Amino acid sequence: MSFKTAYIGAVEIGTAKIAALVGEYTGREIVIIGCGECPSRGVIKGSVVDYRAATECTQTALELAERDANERIDQVFLAQTGGHLEGFYNEASLNVKAADNMIEKDDIRTVCELAKAKDLPLGRMVVHNIRRPFRVDGRLVPTSPENLVGQKLEVGYWTVHGQEQRLADNIHVIRGFNLEVSELVLSSLASGHMVTSLEERQNGVLAIDIGAGTTDYVLYRNGVPHTTGVLAVGGGHFTNDISIGLRLTEAQAEKLKLRFGRAVVQARDRNEKVWLDGNFSIGDRQFPRQAIESITAARAWELLEVVKKKLGHAFAPETCAGGVVLTGGAAKLPALSVCAAKVFGTQARLGEAPSWVNENLRDPGFHTALGILYYGVSAQGDRAAAARGRGGFLHNVTRLFAPT
Amino acid sequence: MSKDALGLPETRTWRDIPQQVRPRAMSLEGRRRLTMGAIRASLGALALGTVAWGAWEMAAVLRENSAAMPDVAKSDRVRSLVLVTDGVLDKDWLARTLALPGDAALMGLDLIKLRSRVLGDAQVGSATIIRNFPSTLTVRISERSPVARLMAQSGGDAPRMLLVSRDGVAFAGTGFDPAMVATLPWVEGVKLVRRGGSIAPIDGMAAVADLLASAKLEAETLYRTWQVISLERLASDGEIDVHTRGGMKITFGANEDYLRQIARLDLLIDASSDPTRPLRAVNLALGPQVPVVYGTAAPTLGDLAPASASPALARPSIVLPAFSNFHIDAHREL
Repeated sequence: MSFKTAYIGAVEIGTAKIAALVGEYTGREIVIIGCGECPSRGVIKGSVVDYRAATECTQTALELAERDANERIDQVFLAQTGGHLEGFYNEASLNVKAADNMIEKDDIRTVCELAKAKDLPLGRMVVHNIRRPFRVDGRLVPTSPENLVGQKLEVGYWTVHGQEQRLADNIHVIRGFNLEVSELVLSSLASGHMVTSLEERQNGVLAIDIGAGTTDYVLYRNGVPHTTGVLAVGGGHFTNDISIGLRLTEAQAEKLKLRFGRAVVQARDRNEKVWLDGNFSIGDRQFPRQAIESITAARAWELLEVVKKKLGHAFAPETCAGGVVLTGGAAKLPALSVCAAKVFGTQARLGEAPSWVNENLRDPGFHTALGILYYGVSAQGDRAAAARGRGGFLHNVTRLFAPT
Repeated sequence: MSKDALGLPETRTWRDIPQQVRPRAMSLEGRRRLTMGAIRASLGALALGTVAWGAWEMAAVLRENSAAMPDVAKSDRVRSLVLVTDGVLDKDWLARTLALPGDAALMGLDLIKLRSRVLGDAQVGSATIIRNFPSTLTVRISERSPVARLMAQSGGDAPRMLLVSRDGVAFAGTGFDPAMVATLPWVEGVKLVRRGGSIAPIDGMAAVADLLASAKLEAETLYRTWQVISLERLASDGEIDVHTRGGMKITFGANEDYLRQIARLDLLIDASSDPTRPLRAVNLALGPQVPVVYGTAAPTLGDLAPASASPALARPSIVLPAFSNFHIDAHREL
């Protein structure tokens, strides 16, 4: 099978920065050949509010990535986040048609269509339809139930949908560069795919991507995404809290957060003070360390509590053997994993990119962009295989990208 | 079962969002990309259009001008053979050699096979065969020129004369003027070897050809007296022996300058014009020193030797120096 090499750009339009990667996809594997980064403007809580500014920043990142790769991008996989994204679960069941109760392709197709069919509110559009494992007479079937024997076939879909205008804004930012968006990938799925292993996803794991403006999470069970969600709260709010609490500017608060912020209060001495700049310049002053830690810890605890509350009954420590994996720029807050372990009552760790990822892309801020490439290629492969009506070559190709 | 058949609602996905953006909303780089894309598409379309137009024009020409390609395509039987040569072979030879059947179609000919047939005659050095539509087969050949001749006998066959070219190839010599052939000297002292279906080229003929060419050009009167060229000692001693019609044996050094040797020979013959003491052997292969052997004069009827003794076998007299720097005692009869 011949395959023309495609140069795919992965773009994450974040609140703090815009990251772009260029992957060379040969049909068998994808290799990262370039990356670009640009501080973000015109984006609040993951949504484009200033088209011109966001377009300029995104295109700067894309140009840097193209220059780094020395190739022109053919198509773009775009990360999607924002508080407007919501999800719901819908399932359907079907009595198997055949007299001998053997499940056929037609049965599978019908039950899938039924499970996906749900009217959305006006102005909402589906971003992802994530299928959960099939059930045949209550028995879990992780792969295709074709040719299995049973009377009742059930399947459920976790459907993620978002506001049409917000989605269109993001797409148009890329189109402004005359590039086509060929895949829209939920940020949580992208980063979750990158920082968790296949085994963890099989045993159950919660991946939380804390960015500057939003927090994306995905709960995996039985190897597939079970529940996803987005909170319009991120590291920027930590900064904002410090800014208000200590009466500082955003930049000063950000500096203090990065230097002294912690997700669990460690300072015991109320009188321990830290300098804002430490260079005795005009305006430099002292702040109680415990106060800074208390603010960031309270916000971190609250954020994780909200995530837990949003997950509701879907999350239980006993069904989440893989624990909690934290990623994203704000996840670098010291002791956040300790805080997460306390909140969720299970083990927690900071997510790391697989060992084969280049050193300069191992920063948590690039996990989403990396994940977009790999998840996007897998999704395209799955769709192509489904379109051909067989899970042959392309399906096998997509399996290559599943991290072990 | 389709969604319509199931009566399910159509859900809109992000793929339903139109991705067209007005150029006005694009950035400078985006517009540049758009322009470049449009230019590339236009050039592609133009190239495609040019190819299509060319094909259409070609088809039209073929359709309207029946004298052009259609005749070529269908081809006729071979009506004429054209031979272009730099030698003496003629059309009869060509017809005999090609042996084409009477109804042979021009397109049906196996040119490679025909060429090998033409090259089967050793007289032909190189050959090109061209189809000239609609019905002419043109054969261009380059022939070998003979420089000497030899008598060859294979098994119990009668001896036959072959001509030898400069590259040592022996061939029958079809079409050559017998008077010209009669002027060629004979070659002896070579052993012919069969290789495949033909005779292997004779080694050293290039040296002989150079000698003969030099002699013919510079001293034709001498050349005309040369009857036999012996290559017997060419490989071993680097010497070529020439036997003249008058019974003189001239030895040439194959590694020496032929012109110089011929000049010395000419001078020597001029200097030895005494009819009572004819030259019997001259060795020019030793550089400036030229040993010569004088014979006695041809016997008159009165003093004929006994019947068993021929003039060629007559014992020559003493060796004399041909040039002043020769030492008399240094050379004796060979």
